[in-house]
Amino acid sequence: MSSASDQRILELRSVSFSYTRQRSLIRGLSLSVGEGEFIGLLGANGSGKSTILKLGSGILRPSEGDILLWSKPLHTYHNRDRAKLISYLPQTLDIAVPFTVRELVGMGLYPYDIPPAMSVDSALEMVGLEGMASAYLTDLSGGEKRRTFIAMTLVQGAGLLMLDEPLANLDIKYQIELVRLLKTLRNEKNISIIMALHDINVALQFSKVMLVKDGAMLGIGRPEDILTDSLIKDAFDVRVNIVRQADGGSYIHYGDNA
Amino acid sequence: MKNMKLKIMVIICIPVLVFGLSLVAGPKMINPFSADAISREILFSIRAPRSLVALLMGMALGASGTVLQGILKNPLADPYILGISSGASLAAALGIMAGAAFLGTFTIPLLAFIGALITGSIVGIMGWKRGGLWPERLLLAGVGLSFLFSALLMLFMSISNDEGLRRAMLWIFGDLSMSEWTKIPYGLVFVGVGILMALSRAKALNALILGDEFAHSLGFSPHRERFILFVSVGLLTAASVSLGGMIGFIGLLVPHIIRFFIGSDSRLLIPCSALIGGALLCVADMISKSVLPPMELPAGIVTAIIGSPYFLYLLRRKNVLSI
Repeated sequence: MSSASDQRILELRSVSFSYTRQRSLIRGLSLSVGEGEFIGLLGANGSGKSTILKLGSGILRPSEGDILLWSKPLHTYHNRDRAKLISYLPQTLDIAVPFTVRELVGMGLYPYDIPPAMSVDSALEMVGLEGMASAYLTDLSGGEKRRTFIAMTLVQGAGLLMLDEPLANLDIKYQIELVRLLKTLRNEKNISIIMALHDINVALQFSKVMLVKDGAMLGIGRPEDILTDSLIKDAFDVRVNIVRQADGGSYIHYGDNA
Repeated sequence: MKNMKLKIMVIICIPVLVFGLSLVAGPKMINPFSADAISREILFSIRAPRSLVALLMGMALGASGTVLQGILKNPLADPYILGISSGASLAAALGIMAGAAFLGTFTIPLLAFIGALITGSIVGIMGWKRGGLWPERLLLAGVGLSFLFSALLMLFMSISNDEGLRRAMLWIFGDLSMSEWTKIPYGLVFVGVGILMALSRAKALNALILGDEFAHSLGFSPHRERFILFVSVGLLTAASVSLGGMIGFIGLLVPHIIRFFIGSDSRLLIPCSALIGGALLCVADMISKSVLPPMELPAGIVTAIIGSPYFLYLLRRKNVLSI
């Protein structure tokens, strides 16, 4: 365990969730997120990644178990108070209304009566979109759009970001840029980040990953301990090889399955 | 930013100027400073209340169109899509057929208002599931009810030969000639309350346009906010239908036109759409009674004839995919 996780921000205790009685989407899941932690959440399609993020950000209420934010039950927070602590970004950012970048990023101020420290302009500078403030959201590339929304969460000032597949549909260049940006935020602002992703090669670059299957935890820890051939076989039902290189890096090899 | 302030100033001035112009211009020009007794009577008892009704009605349509397009996340939504106007027409028609005249000329507007509120409530109940209003359900319930009520209305109209009913139906399809001072106070109250409600939830509307999950993440309760906004749309639409029947175009296209100029932030879009909606209906009404006197064209036709080409022009020139 790293020292960063001593201060627990969010804690899920034996959380279960189901829409209907027949089928549980999340089963007895426990998780704690420390300050400044950057966790990659992996699992097959339908394994419950998105549901975990929605539970953790209070969009869904667990059927069983407790969710604590700074040691206080999440659902007891006022909406606006919670919004100052947790920010959630869904996978699809298809906004049909042509808001400008400035209008959208400014929405991060909505939970506040008195504007917090981070201004819209400095948030745009952090994500590298200074000079784009008057651009229409509908005119941006996928990568720029993602960064605009990240800027909104920066203005919102939440210490915990829940990102659902932020790398989906991004070119590899934007994927690398975005992961780099998130790491910078983590380092400079001590923001904790949980992000769902499905590219195992990207997950191998994280310091902590969590693997889920059928709504239950398969394992959480360093990628070299979790992203093993056997656990990946278990989670994704496919046989792969994780190739460890001499320089410490590793990558996934699809072997005969490809 | 400075540019924006200028734009807003202009948008505020337009309805004021239009209102002034609509008092002096018409089938007969009246100079308010040298008017004789008859002209003064026309000015004060006919033109002033009529222009005020047009302003209020246009404001209600502009504001409710903006809010509705936001909560339904549908750029083609207009205030009549929820079936509220069909319900209003049906209630008015039923009342007339039953011989209701308990409040004189005020009877039809009152019946229309009640019909609109009842319809709005039915749409709300049908759009309600799992603790909140759902955009798709609202839209489908509205369209469904709208068809049903229109069919019933057609049925009554085809079996009735009541002259009063015919007149009432003409009024329902947009007629401001029955405007009187008595309509102003209640119009003012409902339109005022509706617009203030919508304005007080404008931030939430922006967040809802992004999606319920965003709204939640930004500290709003999506279902509660959508409910409040829906009530404001219901009030505004009911008030506008009962003031002067149905006027097309304004609720649908004015929000898009305003978006071209001041952006998509609902905090500006709602009041600006209201102001320009009011001004546009006022102009349309002025034209409708001036071009072929003493005949009057329905104001709704004039709003569409002025507005639609302008909207199409903007669409090409600005090359902005609005909503």
